[in-house]
Amino acid sequence: MPTLIIDGKEIDVKPGTSIMEAARLLNIAIPHFCYHPKLPIAGNCRMCLVEVEKMPKPVISCAMPVSEGMVVKTDSDMVRTARKGVLEFLLINHPLDCPVCDQGGECTLQDLAMKYGPDRSRFHDHKRQALNYDLGPLIETEMNRCIHCTRCIRFSEDVSGVEQMGAVYRGDHMQVGPFVEQPLESELTGNLAEICPVGALNLKPFHFQARGWELKHADGVCPHCSVGCHTRLDHQDGRILRVMARSWNEGNEAWLCDKGRFANDGLTEERLLTPMVRSSRGNGFKKASWPEALDQAAAILKSVRPEEVAGLAGDSIQGGEELFAFQDLLRNVVGTNHLDHRLRQRDFSGDALPLTRADLLMNTSLVNLAGADGILLVGFDPRFETPLLNFRLRRASQAGARVMAIHPRKLTSNLLNLTEIVVGAGHEVELLNQVLRALDGEGSGDAAAVAELLKGAKKPVILLGEHAIGHPEAELLRRLSVALLDKVGAIGAHWNGFNRVASRGNAASAQDMGVVPHRGPGYARLDWVGMNGAEILEAAAAGRIKVLFLLGADPLEDALDRDLARRAMEKVRVIHLGAYACDASQRAEVVLPGLAPGEKSMTLTNCEGRVQQSSRAVNGPLEAKEDWRVLRALSDRFSAPLGYNDLEALRKRMAASDHRYDFSRLGPGETAQACDHSPVTKGLPVSVAIHAAEDGIHLLLESCLYRDDPVTWRSRVMGKLARDGRLRIHPDDATGLAIVQDGLVRVLQGEKRVELRADLDSRIPRGVVSGDFGRGENALRQLCDYSGGYPRVSLVALPG
Amino acid sequence: MKIVYQNIHLPNSHTLAVYEANGGYQAVLKAFELGSDEVIEEVKRSGIRGRGGAGFPAGLKWSFIPKNDPRPKYLTCNADEGEPGTCKDRDIIRYDPHRLIEGMIICGYAVGIQQGYIYIRGEFYRETERLQAAIDEAYAKGYLGENIFGRGSRFHLAIHRGGGAYVCGEETGLIESIEGKKGQPRLKPPFPANIGLYGCPTVINNVETLASVPTIIERGGAWYGALGVAKSSGTKVFSVSGHVNKPGNYEVELGIPLKTLLEEHAGGVRGGWSNLKGVIPGGSSSPILPAEICATITMDYDSMAKAGTMLGSGAVIVIDKSVCIVRAVARLSRFYRHESCGQCTPCREGTGWLSQIMTRMEAGQGTHEDIDLLLEICANIGGKTICALGDAAAGPVLGAIRAFREEFIYHVEHGRCMAG
Repeated sequence: MPTLIIDGKEIDVKPGTSIMEAARLLNIAIPHFCYHPKLPIAGNCRMCLVEVEKMPKPVISCAMPVSEGMVVKTDSDMVRTARKGVLEFLLINHPLDCPVCDQGGECTLQDLAMKYGPDRSRFHDHKRQALNYDLGPLIETEMNRCIHCTRCIRFSEDVSGVEQMGAVYRGDHMQVGPFVEQPLESELTGNLAEICPVGALNLKPFHFQARGWELKHADGVCPHCSVGCHTRLDHQDGRILRVMARSWNEGNEAWLCDKGRFANDGLTEERLLTPMVRSSRGNGFKKASWPEALDQAAAILKSVRPEEVAGLAGDSIQGGEELFAFQDLLRNVVGTNHLDHRLRQRDFSGDALPLTRADLLMNTSLVNLAGADGILLVGFDPRFETPLLNFRLRRASQAGARVMAIHPRKLTSNLLNLTEIVVGAGHEVELLNQVLRALDGEGSGDAAAVAELLKGAKKPVILLGEHAIGHPEAELLRRLSVALLDKVGAIGAHWNGFNRVASRGNAASAQDMGVVPHRGPGYARLDWVGMNGAEILEAAAAGRIKVLFLLGADPLEDALDRDLARRAMEKVRVIHLGAYACDASQRAEVVLPGLAPGEKSMTLTNCEGRVQQSSRAVNGPLEAKEDWRVLRALSDRFSAPLGYNDLEALRKRMAASDHRYDFSRLGPGETAQACDHSPVTKGLPVSVAIHAAEDGIHLLLESCLYRDDPVTWRSRVMGKLARDGRLRIHPDDATGLAIVQDGLVRVLQGEKRVELRADLDSRIPRGVVSGDFGRGENALRQLCDYSGGYPRVSLVALPG
Repeated sequence: MKIVYQNIHLPNSHTLAVYEANGGYQAVLKAFELGSDEVIEEVKRSGIRGRGGAGFPAGLKWSFIPKNDPRPKYLTCNADEGEPGTCKDRDIIRYDPHRLIEGMIICGYAVGIQQGYIYIRGEFYRETERLQAAIDEAYAKGYLGENIFGRGSRFHLAIHRGGGAYVCGEETGLIESIEGKKGQPRLKPPFPANIGLYGCPTVINNVETLASVPTIIERGGAWYGALGVAKSSGTKVFSVSGHVNKPGNYEVELGIPLKTLLEEHAGGVRGGWSNLKGVIPGGSSSPILPAEICATITMDYDSMAKAGTMLGSGAVIVIDKSVCIVRAVARLSRFYRHESCGQCTPCREGTGWLSQIMTRMEAGQGTHEDIDLLLEICANIGGKTICALGDAAAGPVLGAIRAFREEFIYHVEHGRCMAG
């Protein structure tokens, strides 16, 4: 432990610590541009020069490791002169267009120029002119302002793994930019603007929207996937104009994905503003007062027997509060257990077992994930399901971990040391079963290779993703994964490598709060097990369920079988509580407007099972109210209303049902624990049926990162990132069917048909076409249902 | 006394036959007898300092390479020879390439290296051909390869041609360039002796340094150390260019008076000693010496440093009174602006600024403030950059203003040159 003295203060630090980091520990700020705590050191801005006794020249504190007895001065004459000089150099070619620069007011160069810079320029020669680039819909460039700190280049190389930024030319002609001018192809591009210390790279959607100092800030938690990144919501005049990353070492470090950062423009689109009831005359809606609407809703709920009522909840942007209140209302006030949030799950066989929280969530925390040395992805595309989780996997792979992916198609991955095993959709179970046998030494080929990976690793992990969770044999996949890890001793107190990663933003909270038919809040077993998501829709279509209460859910868009959902919605009476107008609200009898993220203080539980609270930044529109308050008010119309009148009382009730939701035990600034659950249920039987390989072309449906919750569907920026209405097909298959890139293709399955544009993609195996679930009448989701996983389809190339 | 140039006057001196006929490849055999540690000791004893410009003791550099390190080690010969005025290595490469190869084999043996690279200036096309031919001869003879001199050990040599960047002559820029990256110097520490080429311990020496090694081993470090003067032992090739009657490469003992070098070896200053304006003594980046200092100064590392300049690569650029110093410095500043890699702020922005002011001043658009501004810019660059290119760019401007300030003032006041 070297001891050194910085500005007269003594400190012990770990060997290898830089002077900059040691000074940070002493709360001594050393000005810098190129240094970023989460990026590799470049040492090129020269702003952080400090004086070290016995060294003839000033040294850069970001790169110089400390040594025993070092005496550092960060504010000597030598240092001040050096800083002044560097700052003058940076300013000579800087345009000084601060009044029209997005970075103005929050610019490192501006701040440091105020502190160390001259008040007038001695530079009377020609300023450098740089070219700007079109980097796509997210990043606006103004390269004249670039100070060549190379943060964006280092970010691209090290963090995002998409080496699109670089520096060309030399000397003062050096230009930072893409080697080839094209839109940046990364899910993390927004970070380039955030780390840019000046206004060279800006957020395009935020361009000229507001000045930094006019914005107010609120601490948020991102609801758009299950990582739960910490965000800062920058808002002005009741609108969230920008989302920035809040540094969180155990989670997103300093980054955000493009979905989390740019989906905010969808928050205010297509909102429900006032309560409405379907008018008795004709089909139209009429605006209603809250009491009127609630009376009407209560009347509908009371008009049928309790077991004829069912509830479906969204699990992406709904907070734990309303999820708890929703199940509380339906179970204890209305009296039904028919409720679910899992509209995209096919296999509910796990519901029959007393599965624990550990069985359904991650058991390796994000931090530990970066330390794994053997990674097996099963039906998981981490980069485009949970980008910041993928960042941890990338860190692990950079440290030498081997990665294998079992998936029905090749991934677009930025993981190193990746081996991909493409299996026919639906055949994953067979492969995992072979791996299980291969662990006993009777295997060859892919199975043996996977077994080798698991056996050879000291810290193996298996991650099950959306494809595995929505798989027709999801429970078997889960059990096999547990069995594999159990066999190599990787499910224990010291290391637990089993991870089920549901990517929906608040799916874990919905589970914890008991928005499932077979369990109450806190994983309490129930005597009377209700119907699950698929069964509810079937019962509704068959007339056995007569009233459907929707909390932010739209079965027409969320359920796997749109046809079934349509038949169900036509039959039942619908009460819709949610923030957004959608097909379901169109068909509802009573519409109750709720709030969107950022408008309410809400609890979100991430994929690690970490319970977090996101704060309110802005007010909701017009008469919309916090969803749980609506549920509470509705319960007043019944004989035994819900027993909480304010948020605090509600949260106490949540905490009483699950201690993890008790925030009073956390100190200020603390986050709840990750993976605070055990045990994983081991030893469940696995019986594997071998499916005969079918010929023909099969359809593989995938969710799109930029299009999978009500907010992202309404965001224009997300619309630019997603390739909506595309069918991905292997080029050889396409040739055989006379399908060309961007050509129109009709996909037929039985009587159902949709028409999409083709993307030729050699990552799709032959005999498979894939596409995003999509939305609306002409979406691929039309072709899927709850029974079979991967329907056979036929394709016809259309002219035009 | 000739060491690295001892054979270059011989017909076909570049061939293995002529080299061997004149005692070539004997030193390496002697080195094998001495043992690796003793070879390093001999080189240390010789006191030879790096001939590329920085003057770091070569034996010390070799001894920094960690022993018992599991990583492979590399030897890199810097044959980029980009410093304006310098042309000494070129003659070694084209007239006595085997001397360099033998020096590299000895270094490889002493430090325990199995792979050497010669990073050669891209413009040296014919020289590369000749060097490659010599390497091929050495391979054919079994002096290079898997089993050198039948001893069971291995030493390979490969040539890497540069792309014309001055900054790739900086040792870590050179390493980046060999690795296939943009030629930008690295931060130090870590030094190449620990983390160099491909992240492994690496020795980097100049051509002239390595070509001196066979003689040091053959005649002994003590013998070599007795040549020259204290702390500047041995011989050095001076590339004398500019206004002398016989410009050329002259190998002489260090410590020779500059006047002797110019008058006796290089045929005297054009128009006589009295016509001398100044001398840039060690390549374009060394500050210029005015004529009155040139009359007395000796060519060794210490007296150069004392005079505020440096011995550098030994490129002696002689300037007579016909030359406009402002114009000469403006030209040099343009060179450094062009060659700055652009990585770190003071050099990227400072070289451009210096060049713009110098160009302006040369054109008669300068002001009195500009002269002090130039000095301040130089001070703000010097010692604050990643590599020495920043200092190199500041050197000529600083030296010229120090020695010839009145010419700058004349330019400002009259808008034209004093020299006419």
